[in-house]
Amino acid sequence: MNAPVRFQSLTVSGLEIRAGNTTIVRDVAFTLSHGRPVTLLGASGSGKSLVAHAIMGSLPSGLSARGIVKLDDDDLLAGSPTQTRARWGRTIAILPQEPWLALDPTMRIEGQVGEIHRYLHGLGPAEAGKSMRDDLAEVGLGDRTKAYPHELSGGMCQRVAIAATHAAGASLLIADEPTKGLDAALRDGVVDRLREEVDQGRLLLTITHDIEVAAALGGMIGVMLDGSLVEFGPADEVLDNPQHEYARALIAANPTRWPALALPTAGEPIVSATGLSKRFGERVLFDGFDIAVRRGEIVAIVGPSGCGKTTIGNILLGLVRPDSGEVQRSPGIAATRFQKLYQDPPAAFAPHQTLRQSFGDLLRLHCLAWAQAEASMRRFGLGQELLDRRPGEVSGGELQRFAILRALLLDPVFLFADEATSRLDPVTQKEVFAILIEAVRERGLGLLMVTHEAALAEKIASRILKLPA
Amino acid sequence: MKRLVLARLLQAGLVLLVVGILCFVLVRALPGDPAMRIAAGRYGPDANITEAAEAVRRELGLDRPLLVQLGASLGQLARLDLGHSVVTGLPITKELRIQLGATLWLSGSALMLSLLLGPPIGLLAGLRRGGWVDNASLGGAIVLRSLPPFVLGLVLILVFAMLLGLFPPAGYGAWRDLALPAFTLALGLAAVSSRVARDAVAAVVRTPYFAFARLKGLPEPVVVRRHVLRNAAIPVVSYLALQAIYLIEGVVVVETLFGIPGIGHALVHAVIARDMPMVQGTALAMGLLFVVIAMAVDLACHWLDPRPKRA
Amino acid sequence: MSIADATLIPTTKRAWLTPARTTGLVLLGLLALFALLGPLLVSVDPTEQDFAASLASPGSDYWLGADHYGRSMLARLSHGARLSFGMALLTVATAAVPGILLGLLSAWRGGWLERLLELVSTVLLALPGLLLVLILLAFAPGTFGPLYLGLALTLWIEFYRVTRVTAAGVLKQTHVEAARLLGFGTGYILRSLVLPEIRPILITLAAFAMSTAIIAISTLSAISVGLRPPTPELGAMIVELLPYYAEAPLHVLMPGILIFLLVLGLQLATRSDLG
Repeated sequence: MNAPVRFQSLTVSGLEIRAGNTTIVRDVAFTLSHGRPVTLLGASGSGKSLVAHAIMGSLPSGLSARGIVKLDDDDLLAGSPTQTRARWGRTIAILPQEPWLALDPTMRIEGQVGEIHRYLHGLGPAEAGKSMRDDLAEVGLGDRTKAYPHELSGGMCQRVAIAATHAAGASLLIADEPTKGLDAALRDGVVDRLREEVDQGRLLLTITHDIEVAAALGGMIGVMLDGSLVEFGPADEVLDNPQHEYARALIAANPTRWPALALPTAGEPIVSATGLSKRFGERVLFDGFDIAVRRGEIVAIVGPSGCGKTTIGNILLGLVRPDSGEVQRSPGIAATRFQKLYQDPPAAFAPHQTLRQSFGDLLRLHCLAWAQAEASMRRFGLGQELLDRRPGEVSGGELQRFAILRALLLDPVFLFADEATSRLDPVTQKEVFAILIEAVRERGLGLLMVTHEAALAEKIASRILKLPA
Repeated sequence: MKRLVLARLLQAGLVLLVVGILCFVLVRALPGDPAMRIAAGRYGPDANITEAAEAVRRELGLDRPLLVQLGASLGQLARLDLGHSVVTGLPITKELRIQLGATLWLSGSALMLSLLLGPPIGLLAGLRRGGWVDNASLGGAIVLRSLPPFVLGLVLILVFAMLLGLFPPAGYGAWRDLALPAFTLALGLAAVSSRVARDAVAAVVRTPYFAFARLKGLPEPVVVRRHVLRNAAIPVVSYLALQAIYLIEGVVVVETLFGIPGIGHALVHAVIARDMPMVQGTALAMGLLFVVIAMAVDLACHWLDPRPKRA
Repeated sequence: MSIADATLIPTTKRAWLTPARTTGLVLLGLLALFALLGPLLVSVDPTEQDFAASLASPGSDYWLGADHYGRSMLARLSHGARLSFGMALLTVATAAVPGILLGLLSAWRGGWLERLLELVSTVLLALPGLLLVLILLAFAPGTFGPLYLGLALTLWIEFYRVTRVTAAGVLKQTHVEAARLLGFGTGYILRSLVLPEIRPILITLAAFAMSTAIIAISTLSAISVGLRPPTPELGAMIVELLPYYAEAPLHVLMPGILIFLLVLGLQLATRSDLG
């Protein structure tokens, strides 16, 4: 059931968000209307999510918003908390990030959609049940009304959340990182669904870090950096001819726009494996898999999540034993010259040690000098002051550069990068890969990368191995 | 669900084994003739003890290897053949049947009272973290946790029985007699369950599904009723399995302090009198009561949480 | 609420030494002084009787008064505090050392050792701890041996389990895998990566075990199966004075207050939920 759309436009001007006396978001202005959705792009920490919550009126306690946010003639920031609250669901709805976490795990989805008709619109149980079934049928879940969230896929949970916003009857939809944690196929499904919402006449504001999502949604694109909106314009203009320096860097950081990479011819094989097979319980991850990584080449393994990509790298490193198959390393090379980069940079460092402690211990173990580490730090643009912080107090991008630096100190011949940039923003991702490519070129390092991003693999890998789901 | 029941039945078997083996070892390690003790345990103190002891020695073959004797003794225990009290000479199963009533009344009313006190306070504290209910209940919980049940019971006796004369200080019969002992246990239990409930509610309040339920537009009371209560109840209820330990231990102490003729009271007196068959019987009964409570808790959790269980 | 921009929002860091923790540590320090120095400074024998001073109120002759036998309450309380502290420390040390070592070993090696220890702890945990202690006490009521053995036997399990679970959790973490790949050995990993992460929880656990031991010893003495008069044990003192509650309610409560302060101090010093 789709409630009639009652609003024509959302106007934001001079929006400012403060934490106590500190202004953390400033000068945000944009207009959003029928058929012209707005997408805010930016790295995490750029303030884009805060803008969404300021419009919704759901900022965390301690934060306050000032400026003008108008839905037609209705000033959203001017009202009392009760008025703000009364708009939730009925007028503005938020599509949560990671919807499988945003649904109550102990309640069937029929209850989670039906309760909106029952308690928001005051329908009787029978009517509410009928409307709920219509809502779920409309998003293609008519036969799954009795399911619990854990019995549904991520994409299905996303559709339950959409059905909930339809039930509430909101005209303005705010999608907060709607594709976070979804792989490429599911991501396209969500984007299609959002486009449909626009076609049905709803106002749509999307928050994302994914340029592909912004491009597919069209309409207007805004780019945020450090709490400011640095660029705003029609999607094709922003994507093809960005004005602001950061916007240019951000657009250029999209792997499809990276310059072509030419590596010298690869050398002899460093590590190879034949006939690998591995199963987890009943499920066969792969069977009879062959792989070889040579000096000075980049090999990529791509495939959807859960297909066993990481396991192959771990087998080559000796961290996981294959059920069958052989791994050969080229002889006479120390075990510590086979290294790994992790997906979640903070997890790769002991949380209670400062970086100075971890690096000090490593240098002492391998009889290396601080000068060597410091030289690399300067080269990678890492300041000395970062050494006295713990991993949790350093940004993901900086920490991943520290992780590369740590691996390179041991003069590796083989490096396994396990989704090493998937948690980083595009600009940082590009910087990290620049360092890695340089190491491949200069040291003849063999790089094995695992990724779910096909575009990234196609751009830089010498060879691509695809794993099926 | 079958696995849950099976695991607890296994635990009941272990209780039997631990109590049986310990008592077996102790009876044989105690100074004096074990045949004499067993004879007294079986036929009561009035029997012709020397003759009976000889009969027992022959019958049980106390000169047989110890392991064989242990097997026979555990076999008896498994058939719930608990023997006779050395002190009163009565069959232990009969004594336990009478004592069980008092113990169930006390532990049941203490548990109910604690559930009426703890979780509701925890809910209020968790919804308004840092509010006065939260701070006051944290202070109260810390004070109560610092008081052993017997000191708490003593303070309650001094205040309510001696000073105010509201309740009798000891005795058993009317509900008024149960009020102070049940309250003593309930306060100790509620001190913990209120904090567990508070943390559980606070954890639910931080979840994305709580935020989404509010952003869907549901009124606050509906969000609390439909999305907070059940989810927060899961850790509170599963924690009750641990609280059952406090309850059982507390029952032993409180029954003794207030003179309630329950199993715990009997256990303490049997220990003082070194009435080993009675120690074995009462410890077994308390141990099994603990298992029954824990099993009820498991089943309640299974019903509350539809998600598949890990391992 | 999860907001992706959390890094933008300024955070305040909480100091380790919170007011509650300071209060707890000061309280524990004072009680430890009372327990250690009290028996030296008050050179009165806690068992020396003076019937003329029976149930004397706190005053100049007896700072905290005297009990029904005219024994100095101050002397008895300080000896009681020393006894409680001492017995609890001994019991907890006996439980903690093997518990932690076996937990580390079990997390590191796994295999049959872990399965065996799991079985032993499951068997011991099947019965509430106090029942186990009571059964052991039937062997020799009123003595410290079975009390100590029974308490240590139940308390080590908690140290073992917590150490095993948290250490296994740390060992599974990515940074430990990274450390192995970087060439660090077992010793370094256990000493520098695992121990610092499990230390805070072990300290909390030790305080909790201390409280449990203090409460259990005094409780069992109060129900006449633990230590017995004339030993100046705090729980036993309460029961001994109980018949005189009408004349001297403060005397009855004093040992209780001391137990309360001991456990309160331990809680305040180590609980993580206090601001």
